[in-house]
Amino acid sequence: MMGPAVRTVGLTKEFERGRRTMWQRLRREPDRRDRFRAVDGIDLEVQAGEIFGVLGPNGAGKSTTLKMLATLLEPTSGEAEVLGIDVRRHPREVRAHLGAMLSGERSLYWKLTGRENLEYFAALYHVPPRETRARIDGALEEVHLSDRAEDYVERYSTGMRQRLALARALLPDPPLLILDEPTLGLDPQAARDLRERVRALRRQGRTVLLTTHYMEEADQLCDRIAIVDHGRVVALDTPSALKRGRRAQEAARLRVERIETEAVPATLEDVFLSLTGSALRE
Amino acid sequence: MTYLAGDARAFIAAVRRELRSMRRYPTVIVASLFWPIVLPGFYVLMGRVYSGNDPRAVAAFAARSGTADYAGFVFVGFAMYMWLSIFLWNPGTLLRQEQLRGSLEAVFLTPASRLVILFGPPVAYLWPVFFQFVVMAVALRVLFGIELSLDALARAAAVIVVGIPSMYALAAFFSTAVLRFGEIGPLVQLVRGTLVLLCGITYPVAMLPGWAQTAAAAVPTTYIVQDVRRVLLARAGIGAVVGDLGLTLAFAAVFAGLAVISYRWIERDARRRGTMGTY
Repeated sequence: MMGPAVRTVGLTKEFERGRRTMWQRLRREPDRRDRFRAVDGIDLEVQAGEIFGVLGPNGAGKSTTLKMLATLLEPTSGEAEVLGIDVRRHPREVRAHLGAMLSGERSLYWKLTGRENLEYFAALYHVPPRETRARIDGALEEVHLSDRAEDYVERYSTGMRQRLALARALLPDPPLLILDEPTLGLDPQAARDLRERVRALRRQGRTVLLTTHYMEEADQLCDRIAIVDHGRVVALDTPSALKRGRRAQEAARLRVERIETEAVPATLEDVFLSLTGSALRE
Repeated sequence: MTYLAGDARAFIAAVRRELRSMRRYPTVIVASLFWPIVLPGFYVLMGRVYSGNDPRAVAAFAARSGTADYAGFVFVGFAMYMWLSIFLWNPGTLLRQEQLRGSLEAVFLTPASRLVILFGPPVAYLWPVFFQFVVMAVALRVLFGIELSLDALARAAAVIVVGIPSMYALAAFFSTAVLRFGEIGPLVQLVRGTLVLLCGITYPVAMLPGWAQTAAAAVPTTYIVQDVRRVLLARAGIGAVVGDLGLTLAFAAVFAGLAVISYRWIERDARRRGTMGTY
């Protein structure tokens, strides 16, 4: 594939806030709902083979951006290409080449076994019948679930379900994976294991675009990070460059120890809070 | 693999997945044995109480319904009721559950046609429908002594097979409404109640007021119930109902078209408003 794995130019998504009742529609009353921009002209280029993180507070527009790239949402304006394919004009082609894990463990069929889940999705991903068995075995092995493949998903732990959701995303053998908060709700061991799986995906030459709330995770995992706030990219660089940045320099942390103050190196969390503020976003 | 071939395989996988899920709830089979007998059984016994087994009452019934076999008449009506119940409740509930669970989004992330999830799983529900028909036929024979000839059963089966596409399309159309409005209970009560009223599950359509008879002529269930009764109980040949069968196929095309149009509209609207995964 030539060019970036993901490219967006001025990608924008507007939603209506509030509701318009059937009565209002019937009476043809003017639409007085507010419109707000969940994503406000995002420009991104994710290079092939990198792990690219999108960081942001709740409601910053991270998931909305990913859903537009995965063709689940229609952009209001702007351009978006995934693996060189226009998401608006050829959504089906995009989906055929994309592995996505957006709603995690909830999106599995709990009354089916892990293998049965993958068999179903392999058919939906149009995996050729002759390759299905090998793809499923490979995906299960990739996420270390081969020995539990015949168990019902309802008997899996949260971490195992997340891994099965990742295995599902691997079924089309995608060069690009989009993961929305892949370690959300996992215990430290499960989260660490999943991060290791993501690193393994990069070693295989795949591109990973992920969102996360966890600063350490982004720091450890990502080659580059875009910090998103109010639907805009407010910073974009490598984790170390972000930490070295001018605003990061301003973020000092006081460590009270032996009754003296000492400036310690800025963490990614410092950078994040200095850019997006510390007020709750609910 | 072409998209068409891939979608055909995805369709089969969707049916298979639903059959597997159904198999994991074996207690449902108990209800499938119970209600198809009890519900019509009540009406048949009540009819006997009202008529006092007076031959004149049976003759009056035959004059209005075209058959003296009132038990068979009621059982055929309730077979449609059970069929409607299964086809209205289950595919709609299933689609709604997919939306609530988040698996609808996961399915929509694949290149498979989005119609697969609309039209695939309802096929699996033909199995419980068939099972209930068999239970009812056995109950008629064993509990009420009604003997149905193989020839008549074969003709009834033919009418049912031709009626399947229209019922199936009706279910798909109804599922899209569930996806849009979110609540299945009130919708099922409303739609099932209306259809049941119009197609005459315990009475001939001729007993309805004129305006209701006109409305009854606009739904496929009326023709299916009426024709099964004719071939099964009044010993009519397939030739006598062939016009109606053509009509039910036309209804199938209309409802399938409506289902596709409304589903595409809802899906597009959800992609625009971001409501695919909301509930």
